[in-house]
Amino acid sequence: MSGTRRKMSVVPCSGIGKSLGAAAREAAFILAEDLRPATTKIVALSLLVMGDEEAEREVAGGEAVAIDGCKLECAAKGLACSGAARVHKVAVFDVIRRHRGLKPGGVCDLNEDGLRLARATADEAAKIVDDADAEGGHA
Amino acid sequence: MSEKILQLSVDKFLFRFPSGLNYSESGVWVKFEGSRARIGLSDFTQQRNGDVAFAEPKEVGTSVAWGDEVAVVETIKVNLSIPAPVGGKVVEVNGDLLNSPELVNQDPYGKGWLAVLEVEGGEAARGALKTAADYMALAKVQAEAEILR
Repeated sequence: MSGTRRKMSVVPCSGIGKSLGAAAREAAFILAEDLRPATTKIVALSLLVMGDEEAEREVAGGEAVAIDGCKLECAAKGLACSGAARVHKVAVFDVIRRHRGLKPGGVCDLNEDGLRLARATADEAAKIVDDADAEGGHA
Repeated sequence: MSEKILQLSVDKFLFRFPSGLNYSESGVWVKFEGSRARIGLSDFTQQRNGDVAFAEPKEVGTSVAWGDEVAVVETIKVNLSIPAPVGGKVVEVNGDLLNSPELVNQDPYGKGWLAVLEVEGGEAARGALKTAADYMALAKVQAEAEILR
């Protein structure tokens, strides 16, 4: 594997005030800091939406993972408008349906179920990153 | 003909109540269609309980009495047993909810309907339900109580 391969951008939901959004952001941190630090980097959706040049450069022409909380898919839509070459989607709302019974709570501090949900979401996102790696992607 | 929609604003929330529907105290709307009744969760009910992850009405052919469980709705916050607002037999369920339960949140009075029942009890069934204005008054009390809690 090339040491200069571009890292995949991870753009989490910026929804404030809902536990699904908090789980999406926590999942992004787990992915980029713990699970796949060598192959992923976080880019803030708010910066992309505001047209921040550095954030746009990070994303443009590369592969990215949008981690959305709800079905509005703000992160995926924001990425689609940012010039990313390929956008992979993970939605916490879909992950929770595969982990029936979890009741995520909290916004500033996720409860135990919220943290479990974030971990499950990060695991799914990591699989996407690995698959893209196997295809030789990211740029 | 456009239907009048009553609106209730409580804190940052806005709840809608179409005037052409009836409502049970437990927050289920009812639209009578001849001898049948289409049912779903009111806007107030869906907003207070959060994003719906699973919405599972009873199977077609199931008979329910008033107050019996007619659907189970799991949101990210709570599991709800939805009591039948009228007695009758389930004759149709919303199959779209299997893969898109979020329709209950996105379009509670439209694409998010739960089931259709062949009603038993005729006019008596309708009489036990609330009008939009009466239900909105009840929702106001419940919403304000929750916000103060």
